[in-house]
Amino acid sequence: MLRIRNLKCYYGRIRAINGVSLSVRPKELIALIGANGAGKSTMLQTIAGLLPHWEGEIQLEKESLQGLKPPGIVKRGISLVPEGRMLFPPMSVLDNLKLGAYLRYRRREHSQIAEDLEMVLDLFPVLRERAKQPAGTLSGGEQQMVAIGRALMARPRLLLLDEPSMGLAPFLVRTILNILVQLREQGMTILLVEQNARAALQIADRGYVLENGRIVLDGPAADLLADQDVKRAYLGKDYREFNEGRA
Amino acid sequence: MSIWNAGEECLDLEERAQQQLERLQSTLNRAYKNVPFYRNRFQLQGIDPAQIESLGDLDSIPFTERAHLAENYPYGLFAVPLRDVVRIHTSQGTALKPTVSGYTRQDLAVWREMAARTFTAAGVSSSDILQIDLDPGLSNWGRDYKDGAEAIGAGVIPLTILPPEKQLMLLRDYRTTALVTTPSAATQFMHLLFRANLNPNALALKTLLLAGEAPDADIQAELEEQLHVKTWVHYGLSEVPGPALAFECRERSGLHVSEDHFLPEVVDAVTGEALPEGEVGELVLTTLTTRAFPLIRFRTGDRVRLLPDNCPCGRTLRRMEWLPERTDELRVIRGVKMHHQQILLLIERALGFPPKACRFFIKRQDFRDYLEVWLKVDEELFSDEVKEMERLSNRLGSGLAQELGVPVTIRFKEDISFASSGRSSGQSSRIEDLRHSPF
Repeated sequence: MLRIRNLKCYYGRIRAINGVSLSVRPKELIALIGANGAGKSTMLQTIAGLLPHWEGEIQLEKESLQGLKPPGIVKRGISLVPEGRMLFPPMSVLDNLKLGAYLRYRRREHSQIAEDLEMVLDLFPVLRERAKQPAGTLSGGEQQMVAIGRALMARPRLLLLDEPSMGLAPFLVRTILNILVQLREQGMTILLVEQNARAALQIADRGYVLENGRIVLDGPAADLLADQDVKRAYLGKDYREFNEGRA
Repeated sequence: MSIWNAGEECLDLEERAQQQLERLQSTLNRAYKNVPFYRNRFQLQGIDPAQIESLGDLDSIPFTERAHLAENYPYGLFAVPLRDVVRIHTSQGTALKPTVSGYTRQDLAVWREMAARTFTAAGVSSSDILQIDLDPGLSNWGRDYKDGAEAIGAGVIPLTILPPEKQLMLLRDYRTTALVTTPSAATQFMHLLFRANLNPNALALKTLLLAGEAPDADIQAELEEQLHVKTWVHYGLSEVPGPALAFECRERSGLHVSEDHFLPEVVDAVTGEALPEGEVGELVLTTLTTRAFPLIRFRTGDRVRLLPDNCPCGRTLRRMEWLPERTDELRVIRGVKMHHQQILLLIERALGFPPKACRFFIKRQDFRDYLEVWLKVDEELFSDEVKEMERLSNRLGSGLAQELGVPVTIRFKEDISFASSGRSSGQSSRIEDLRHSPF
């Protein structure tokens, strides 16, 4: 579904992503893991059209995303759940969710939007209870649910999630990740960026390890979970040895 | 016949190209980061792995040759710390030092999977009893074959070094249904069988998996006809290390290369330039998933031709035709590769001085292939005691057999003449193949 070849992304003259190729097949859940500053969020922001300076190829269903701005990319079927949720705190939960369908209102898909809103509220029952509450008053986990729900309201074919577990208590992390599994089982294609590598790999089909803007490992998620380099670097062992290389 | 891993073996061609590019790039990044040999060579050529943007760009990267494996003995080419390595393999190599390769747990899983897919392609299943009979020089492969056969649930008789007569006894008494061996050992088996007046129908054998030597259609046909079996050819490299990175399917039209784990290229053996699909050249392999011991553009010395079009079996893995002649001076005896300079150095090490002249032959006696070494007897070698000469002959022969992993016979000669075409250095000839000679 998503095919990236030789992606290079720039912040000014600094190259943050250096020749990354990556793919997500339909109905796959892919984990992109790596240390802080490896370029994970840059990857997602580039796919979502938020960073304009990039080279290489990004294709969704064999069509290039080159030159598209964020609304165009959302129209193609890609939704981003950004790091830090980025909700509109004073607005109600319901309004935040409806904003996710902003482009669809212009296409007059009112009845389908209402159906999708019901689907989101079924997926996150707690949000139904808090529908009229300002989003800023919700707990971190609930806010993350709003952020995911908002992305789903665009009816994406590919869901990008940037650090959905950030700042959440462990039991809430499990809740959020279980919802991703549920979405994948319903046929959603997901690219998940996570610092919580173990949690991400436990639910993913495949994974990529990004380091200094380059992919250094990829494979089935179970293999990566068992890989000694991954264990040392991202699952809590000998970070320094991995990062400085052995040579 | 079924396919072991249809998801990978039948992957859509566009997906395959994407998968190979991704795996190639991450392999290059890992090798650059973790293996000084590769990093230095890339830097000398001014290559950053990020410059490799397509599979076609690979030809800008220098080749890895067998000599590099010896130069980096033992662990110089490992890309992971030793504590991540769970198995270390030694193959005799083609120089004085052996070739050492390592596996992580994931690497072992990959080889298990590859061996399993080759067995499945040959129709071997959990209802088979599979016997592995390879010479000591191919013992690495024996372990991988064992793992793969266990993965499909077959009953395995693992590689055990036994004389051919004993192997034949196991074959008959254990009701072996599938046998992994080299074509030359299989031929020897066949003749021993007839000599022992055993009817092939008395055996349960139905599948013969031939590894280690390029296929010979006549020999395959004879084995199939005489033993009432189906033969299946496997291609492997002891250096990579692994036995069955390309295999025949039911269509018997070339060998499928496990392209999800290896990237094949065919190059002109002289110029090193990439050849178009369909042309005969030297096979060059790059590992795509290997963690411990990545090889980048490894020159195999094997002559192959990549075949166009998809195979009717449904696999999209490209097929290659494996041709018998090699592009280098290595010779293969019972699946084991060797070079005349390597044998010369081993003799020099055993004697303590370089021999004046010697010749090397591959011969066949009693249906058994072996290496025969002729050594010129001079003042340094000569002893007027026969026993002393016999002792020297036995010591040299057993030492060489141990190093090379094949049977060796030593002959002392008063004079050694070289055919002009056979001579390749001051005191030795290339290895001459007399297996098909009437003498």
